[in-house]
Amino acid sequence: MTTLEVRNLIKKFHGSERSAVNDISFELSEDEILALVGPSGCGKTTTLRLIAGLERPDSGLIRLNDRVVASDSVFVPPERRGVGMVFQDHALFPHLTVFENVAFGLRGKKPDEIRTTVGEMLHLVGLLPLSKRYPHALSGGERQRVALARALAPRPILLLMDEPFSSLDADLRTEVREHVRGILKSMRATVVFVTHDQDEALFMGDRLAVLNRGELEQIGTPEEIFHESNTRFVAEFMGDSDFLRGRVVAGGIQTEIGLLNQIVDLPVSTPVEIALRADDIDFEVDGSGNSLIVGRFFRGAFNLYRLRLNSGQILHAFTDHTKILPVGTRVQARVSAEHPLTVFSEYHTV
Amino acid sequence: MSISPRLAVAAGLVALFVAIPLVYIFIRAMGAEPEAWQRLLQTRLWKLLSNTLLLVVAVTSGALLTGVSMAWLTERTDLPGKKIFRWMLAMPLAVPAYIGGIVHLALLRPRGGVIPQFLESVFGQPVPTPSPLGFWGAAFILTLFMYPYVYLLSGAAFRTLHASLEEAARVFGRTPMQTLFHVTLPALRPGLTAGALLVALDILAEYGTVALLRYETFSSAIFVQLSGRYDRSAASVLSGILVALAIVILWGELRLQGQARFTQMESAWRPAPLVTLDRWRVPAFLLVLGVVSASLLVPFTVLLIWSIEAFLDPQAMTVLFRTGSQGFGSYVWNSLWSTSAAAVIAVALSLPVALLAVRYPSRFSRFISRLCQVGYAIPGVVIALSLVLLVNRFLPFLYATPFVVVIAYVLRHMPQAVRASESALNQLSPSLEEASRTLGRTSLQTLIQVTLPLILPGLLAGGSLVFLTSLKELPATLLLRPAGFDTLAVRVWVWAGEGFYLQAAPAALLLVLASALPLSFLLRREQIFK
Amino acid sequence: MMRVTKFTYFKEIRFMFRKTKVFLFVTLLALVVAACGGAPTAVGEEKATEVVTSSGVSTEAPSEEPMSVSGDLVIYTGRSEPLIQPVIDAFKAQYPNVNVLLKAGSNSELANALIEEKSNPQADVFITTELFTIQSLAQEEVFEPYVPKGADQIPPEFLGADNMWTGLTRRVRVIMYNRDLVSEDELPASLFDLTDPKWRGQIAAAGSTNGSMQAQIAAMRQLIGEEATQEWLYSLIANEVTFFGGHTDVRKAVGAGEFKLGLVNHYYFYLQQAEGSNVGIIFPDQGEGQIGLITNATSAAIVKGGKNLPAAQAFLDFLISVEGQKLFAEQNYEYPLLPGVPLREGVQPLDGFRLADVDVVKASLDFDATFDLMERVGLP
Repeated sequence: MTTLEVRNLIKKFHGSERSAVNDISFELSEDEILALVGPSGCGKTTTLRLIAGLERPDSGLIRLNDRVVASDSVFVPPERRGVGMVFQDHALFPHLTVFENVAFGLRGKKPDEIRTTVGEMLHLVGLLPLSKRYPHALSGGERQRVALARALAPRPILLLMDEPFSSLDADLRTEVREHVRGILKSMRATVVFVTHDQDEALFMGDRLAVLNRGELEQIGTPEEIFHESNTRFVAEFMGDSDFLRGRVVAGGIQTEIGLLNQIVDLPVSTPVEIALRADDIDFEVDGSGNSLIVGRFFRGAFNLYRLRLNSGQILHAFTDHTKILPVGTRVQARVSAEHPLTVFSEYHTV
Repeated sequence: MSISPRLAVAAGLVALFVAIPLVYIFIRAMGAEPEAWQRLLQTRLWKLLSNTLLLVVAVTSGALLTGVSMAWLTERTDLPGKKIFRWMLAMPLAVPAYIGGIVHLALLRPRGGVIPQFLESVFGQPVPTPSPLGFWGAAFILTLFMYPYVYLLSGAAFRTLHASLEEAARVFGRTPMQTLFHVTLPALRPGLTAGALLVALDILAEYGTVALLRYETFSSAIFVQLSGRYDRSAASVLSGILVALAIVILWGELRLQGQARFTQMESAWRPAPLVTLDRWRVPAFLLVLGVVSASLLVPFTVLLIWSIEAFLDPQAMTVLFRTGSQGFGSYVWNSLWSTSAAAVIAVALSLPVALLAVRYPSRFSRFISRLCQVGYAIPGVVIALSLVLLVNRFLPFLYATPFVVVIAYVLRHMPQAVRASESALNQLSPSLEEASRTLGRTSLQTLIQVTLPLILPGLLAGGSLVFLTSLKELPATLLLRPAGFDTLAVRVWVWAGEGFYLQAAPAALLLVLASALPLSFLLRREQIFK
Repeated sequence: MMRVTKFTYFKEIRFMFRKTKVFLFVTLLALVVAACGGAPTAVGEEKATEVVTSSGVSTEAPSEEPMSVSGDLVIYTGRSEPLIQPVIDAFKAQYPNVNVLLKAGSNSELANALIEEKSNPQADVFITTELFTIQSLAQEEVFEPYVPKGADQIPPEFLGADNMWTGLTRRVRVIMYNRDLVSEDELPASLFDLTDPKWRGQIAAAGSTNGSMQAQIAAMRQLIGEEATQEWLYSLIANEVTFFGGHTDVRKAVGAGEFKLGLVNHYYFYLQQAEGSNVGIIFPDQGEGQIGLITNATSAAIVKGGKNLPAAQAFLDFLISVEGQKLFAEQNYEYPLLPGVPLREGVQPLDGFRLADVDVVKASLDFDATFDLMERVGLP
């Protein structure tokens, strides 16, 4: 069943040249986690706030559980949408205890019921012993979990999470997000999750929606997004790809580092770009090779080399951690991928 | 979040309320017969203008010099006793300048004052002493009671300025003195300019002190006009010019206002190393002691002695406790309730304005917020003039009630409330309010359950500031009070004006103490100019 | 060389207390009399015989019984508060149910307020220190006509046309001097001697906001003309006369030796003398062809539309009663207008002095020109 439907959503802020959100449409099924991902300023947070009712769309439609909450004629204020939200800065009420924070959204229920629900929620996030504390006496991770418990306590139709892990330390983040995903799945929550971090999006999302400059570039499973990028932007943003220029020939694509045996449906001599990740490239030492090592980054289990081709183009390549070559070594690079690569012609996927 | 029409309307109404007296004065000034303009232009105007500007320049420079040097000595050197000095240097804000003037005049008045007479009895002949009267006297007294504005702003800046900034200058070969002048002071400039403009606005509005020390400025001339002729046009013309002058200054102040805020202490912050005064320790100590004595200790001690004498003498007490049929208790009560009411109303009115300005920044909301700050630029006499005319004409039932006095306080001190509320709201993350909305609260419920409890300390600070400044307000109270409605400030002024210092002293002392309480609260919060 | 104690102002304060003692004594006396029930009866008898309607104006006789007069009585007074306070205390002793609310200010400030409030009257009674303001206001129809009991005994020139106001006491413009600093033979004999350069910087006077000073200038305009008055004012300013807000400052400054001469109302000299200062008084301009003493009178009127007419009438009655007049004479060394009330001991009677003749109505009509003049010459 469709929990959230967003159709042709447009929002332009006063004094801004282009739309923050430009004609975005997508749907979300029950129990599904959708990660909205994109660089800062791509419109992902605005989309989230439009769904929450914190902003009013210029046009478009938002439907929650078959109820229109925003359209040209309808605007339901946030307090009557039945959505929960976890804020980037957690937004815990500093004048209320942990218990009172979680109970805040349960107003109108019987005291017993409130006590039970809050107890359950705090138990779920593992903070029951801290229920009498005030937010300032909590660690960052604990605040994060209180914010989650508070948002989930009223059993919202839809949970919105705005970069919820960005204020946490890097080492804590991985641990917390596993925990949080476990909680969300156990509650069978329907979630829209906003992040600028590809890893986080790939980890948290059942599906991903990649946004760029207010527009939806691609929506799909993590695998689809990663391996079958629709646009050069998605490939670049999600996969850290380099783009090797080439030209279509009879037997494939001719590039600076050799012929790629991949047949594409394009006229001969069409200029194209091939998306290459570091694991798609291999190289050997060769005094008359086609590239020069211009940098090496030790990454523990492997080395990441930066190669400069004679044309000046930069490519990245992984090698295992034992292969250590000094900067300035001339090498021969080649494409080593055994799967089809994504090829773009004038920014369109082929 | 999308702008709430109700909020915009509320803020607009507040702005309208604030703007009406101002607009009315301009209309009256423009509408005055050409004859009134001509008479003023030919006679007093240029003299008043130069008098006023001279005083503004002199006091502002004096306050800058005193304020910055006191702040530097107490924050950046090993001055002995600086902890207590830090507090004492701020406290003159609790002493209305006219009360300081009354004390200094009693002490220093040429030939008649305590000090000249003492010297004469010692030396057997008159010894020339500096006079507190006239331009230099007014400049001196006003500097003594205005420098704390600059002192507080620059003291806070000295405290929060990064040590590394000065260290860098030293590494690049500057001496400590060169560092002070080339690096530290320029870094303080925005705060200092803002402090100086606050002083300048206050001087434009000052009535009691200049009247007492017989130096004529715009404000005192308007007062004379108001209590002199039977027509209001000359007063309106002068008021119009004065307000125009003040608005120019206020405009500069508003441009710098943002920069005057205290810089946040970052985690890497550490205190700057102290300058060792060495052989300058004693002179520096004496200098600070001199400033503290003249602006706080001497006025306080003299008031205390007079008060004790008044209390020891039952006959003085009789006079003290009765005017018309009103007693001392009624002055205290009138002062307290009218200023408290003004504080509560000003803070309440500032809320929609601050909410609009902080949560929905736009050209409109900025305009509203700025408009609500014009109170700074409208001296008490002008507000009084405007209110007398407006209220009597349009709200006759309010005329000659204490509420008009309260309205004058609110209009005059609204900017302080607006600034405090805006600052408090600025520190409150909007996501808290948004969280409340997504958890099922309407905007009004959110305001009551989340926003208000959290900004309450900031609102209290704003209220304290309004209370503090309303308590010592003189010209508007004098002109607007109904018969039988006397406040502490009015009693001090009337009694001292009759030369009855003993009777004036307990009221003055109480006024100072009542101001000192909210001031201490503000100082502890370091909230006074945020 | 003058010999004064170190702390003159403490001495002043001690004097103040002495004065308060007198106030208190009189108040107590009044209370005792009232308590014995003698005074009310006496007042009642007077009432029976003295309510006279001389001009056919209907005058509501105030309530016979002082206890029945009650409520708030709002008094706007141009007389300074300490000078009117003992009178109010004595009045309250007779009418204990009246709650007096006082607003003290300059004559013209209060006059402004009264004009402003014509459609919305706030005050019940107006008291001023001179006659021109009250006459101007009478022309503005601010007042309610009333003939106080005993008004028939007041000299008619001190009663307003149509019974709009009543004179209370008379005062005289004089020059006071510090005897330590000025010898008898160099004393000025005329107001016009004050422009003599030998007094440069040695004279104190009240400024343009003071009612008595305004009235003096208005009188001089009538006596010697606009131009000569202007000339005189210019000369005073050129002679570095110091202008204070009020005469209390002037008398204290002269008493302390800050200034040699002071231009004041006569009672300020007596008040300062009573404080123990070595001061003298000059009744100026007595020579042939000179203008004579400039006199004026304090006055009171009932405000039209006031909320407490009975109390206002009772108050006016009291002001020109023997008791009220005595208070003015005793407390403040003034010349009572009610015949038979003795001067305070030591006060120089006015008989035999050459007095300037000023037309009150004419001066009040010209009052605005007086303000123009003060503004033109830049009188502080």
